[in-house]
Amino acid sequence: MKDVLKRIVFGKKEKYWWMTAVVPLISILLSFIVGAIFIKITGRSPVLAYKLLFGASGLFPGPYWKSHFAEMLLSSSMYIATGLGFAIAAKGGLFNIGAEGHFIVGGIAAAYLGYAQPFAGLPKFIHLPLIFVGVILAGGIWGSIAGYLKAKRGIHEVITTIMLNWIALYLIEAWLVIGPMEAAVETGISGTPYISVSAKLPKIFAGTRLNISIIIILAVTFFIWFLFYKTTFGYEIRAMGHTLIFGMEAPKAGGINVERKTIQTMFIAGAVAALGGAFMVLGVLFQYPPIFEGGYGFDGIAVALIGQNEPLGVILAGILIGALRTGATTVQLAHIPKTFPSIIEGFTVGFIALQVLIRYWIMRLVEGRKKAIQVDMGGGAK
Amino acid sequence: MKALEVKGIVKQFPGVLANDNINLSINKGEIYAIVGENGAGKSTLMKIIYGLYTPTAGEIFVFDKKVDIKTPHDAIALKIGMVHQEFMLIPRFTVTENIVLGDEPSKGIVFDYKKALGQIKELSEKFGLSVDPAEKVANLPVGIQQRVEILKILRRGAEILIFDEPTAVLTPEETEDLFKTLMKLREDGKTIIFISHKLKEVMAIADRIAVLRRGKLQGIVERDKTSEVELARMVVGRDVVLKIPKAKAKVGETVVSVRDLTVKSKRGIIGLKDVSFDVHAGEIVGIAGVEGNGQAELVNTLIGFIRPVKGSIMFDGEELKLLTPFNIRKKGMAYIPKDRKARGLVLPFKSRENIIMGQHTLYPFSKNGVLNNIEIDKFATKKLQEFDIRPRDIYARVRNLSGGNQQKLILAKEMSMEHKFLLASQPTRGLDIGAMEFVYHKLIEEKESGVAILLISLELSEIMGLSDRILVLYNGEIVGETTPDKTTEEELGLMMLGLKRQEKVAQ
Repeated sequence: MKDVLKRIVFGKKEKYWWMTAVVPLISILLSFIVGAIFIKITGRSPVLAYKLLFGASGLFPGPYWKSHFAEMLLSSSMYIATGLGFAIAAKGGLFNIGAEGHFIVGGIAAAYLGYAQPFAGLPKFIHLPLIFVGVILAGGIWGSIAGYLKAKRGIHEVITTIMLNWIALYLIEAWLVIGPMEAAVETGISGTPYISVSAKLPKIFAGTRLNISIIIILAVTFFIWFLFYKTTFGYEIRAMGHTLIFGMEAPKAGGINVERKTIQTMFIAGAVAALGGAFMVLGVLFQYPPIFEGGYGFDGIAVALIGQNEPLGVILAGILIGALRTGATTVQLAHIPKTFPSIIEGFTVGFIALQVLIRYWIMRLVEGRKKAIQVDMGGGAK
Repeated sequence: MKALEVKGIVKQFPGVLANDNINLSINKGEIYAIVGENGAGKSTLMKIIYGLYTPTAGEIFVFDKKVDIKTPHDAIALKIGMVHQEFMLIPRFTVTENIVLGDEPSKGIVFDYKKALGQIKELSEKFGLSVDPAEKVANLPVGIQQRVEILKILRRGAEILIFDEPTAVLTPEETEDLFKTLMKLREDGKTIIFISHKLKEVMAIADRIAVLRRGKLQGIVERDKTSEVELARMVVGRDVVLKIPKAKAKVGETVVSVRDLTVKSKRGIIGLKDVSFDVHAGEIVGIAGVEGNGQAELVNTLIGFIRPVKGSIMFDGEELKLLTPFNIRKKGMAYIPKDRKARGLVLPFKSRENIIMGQHTLYPFSKNGVLNNIEIDKFATKKLQEFDIRPRDIYARVRNLSGGNQQKLILAKEMSMEHKFLLASQPTRGLDIGAMEFVYHKLIEEKESGVAILLISLELSEIMGLSDRILVLYNGEIVGETTPDKTTEEELGLMMLGLKRQEKVAQ
């Protein structure tokens, strides 16, 4: 059983296969320790803060556990979506900062298809899939613009994705939401009209807001894992990911159409991140408001980094961030600002950035000093 | 006086005894060569001396004093310097900035660039290593970059200089220059340890030669009392036929036919001028030439990386136009790249993943885009056996394979693909004699099975030994066409350097 699990998650016969999991865990642990020191320095109680934080995070049973748990999964599904958006591109050697843009493009597409006629009158089992097709196309096309510019014009994706984020934001919030898609004045609604009942995501946990978004995103994650490791497409983008940033050309010389793969990778990355925006509109807000509370896209980068760009890792990291955010408001009871979990998140990413060092420390514990250097030199960072 | 002495050095890696009781004693002011195949333990020994590895057992003496070298800092303090195969230079910095980095002259807290410039100028004059101290390293050819590396360690006061395969990256002229530098350094009383697997070079430069094989010291010989053949025997451990078994070509129909090919180089100047030639089934056409005379442009055009300005390439009776590497490979071209790390392999991938690159979309490796891991494993296991690739572990990361085994993996990959044409671009670059022999045999096997082969090589002996026809490329043009029995290495050499050309090149 252990072997099968190893095979599935880490690939066969990998020495130190557990490293991929241990490094993020240690980073998380370290960031909580540093967080505690911060709280202590400011004269508050770290024990109380963490007790409150985790008590309301939904991770552990406690008072109001059911609703905390539901809220946690609800936000986790969005973090997983944007995290995957980053991870997919990263597997192909692309640094995708555009999840924020993909997220809101997905949101506006979902809102439009949710209220507009003639879709609004359709039965749910037709209407919802139709919306998701639209969202995937919208997000995918938005993502593949950056992919196209990278592949055909050689413009770096970091620049284009950041610029496309702003283009998306102003197209939506400075034009669509207050222009063509604005709700009629007499309804008294600001932002777009509310979506029809048939467009709302079905709830799966009575008495809470939790809907099928978490199931959808888990299925999508499985699909992405399959894509990465079981298909020729994944094989090709992983080959690109290992070589592209170093300017190596082995995949191209091997007959892989690197340009087309770049565009396709960005399409998928954009489409998956856009799902997060759709979850927000179809499951939480039920409209696209005049001002969208964003940040999911950028937090997705943290999720992907903590999850080491592996599908399973992104799920776990997404749940962690979701839990921290769910519990965030309660830390105010310990006289700590509710943005405190963001600090923890930032530290974790910081420690992840030090992963070569952490790997070395672990190696040193396991193998002794000199050997650790050699293993590190031979194996290197992943 | 002994500059460096190692006694009973043993280095045990998990599963491999890399150095087994090595004893060497190197005199001050000599050029001491250490030769051996890839993986014989040369680099390990040097890394021990330079403080990158600690030996499992053994002692090191520097200038007759027992020392304990734990880190490269210790080595530098003991006046040991190392010129690595891959240079440790910052391309955007000037020569001066690179050399003084880590030990900058300063005015207060400000870096005194003027003073540094002066120092470097003085240094380069003192050792007869001319460089422009104000030039950016990125603009320098590899040979000069190496000179900068040498200056860097000389400035730190190095008395013992270790060169780890310094000629692997150099052109023949740059190698000549390097040898002059080495002799000059010897005159100045520096001690030089020269690691190589090129016996010709070792014979040209070294005073004494130590031969390692599989971690063991095979013997130490004086250059004047040995020969290349004897050295080769010691390196490989048996008599090597450096002569390549000649097989008569059974020339078939034309597979590749290049006409008036003109290609721009990366810098925008014409890199290839009106080049025309044919390659027939069952023959090896060798392209001789000094590196940088159009080989890269020719290769890149043939594999579809760049488009020609004018001219045509016919492949199997069909013109290749606007084709991507994918299409060209599908038509039946195999390609052994000269830079296996950049173009041949995905280093972090496992052997099993690398070996299907290019065929991964084909049955049985995948069906409808889903990989068939069982078939891939079966295929990889078979090929690792067939091409004797070590370790015989299909899950081993290719990054950890030795150069020879990486090359074998590329051969296994390319030759198992269906192909009519094999483009071999410096297929033995950086390989030891054993692996070279293997590549030669494979090329001849290919030829006998009726594959058309275009061999591009900088080694004249290789061109002479393998080719059925030889084309000489100079300055982007074909300046001569001949066969090995009608020419000599000397004549080819003259043509390669542009000193002689055939008036009319017969097609």
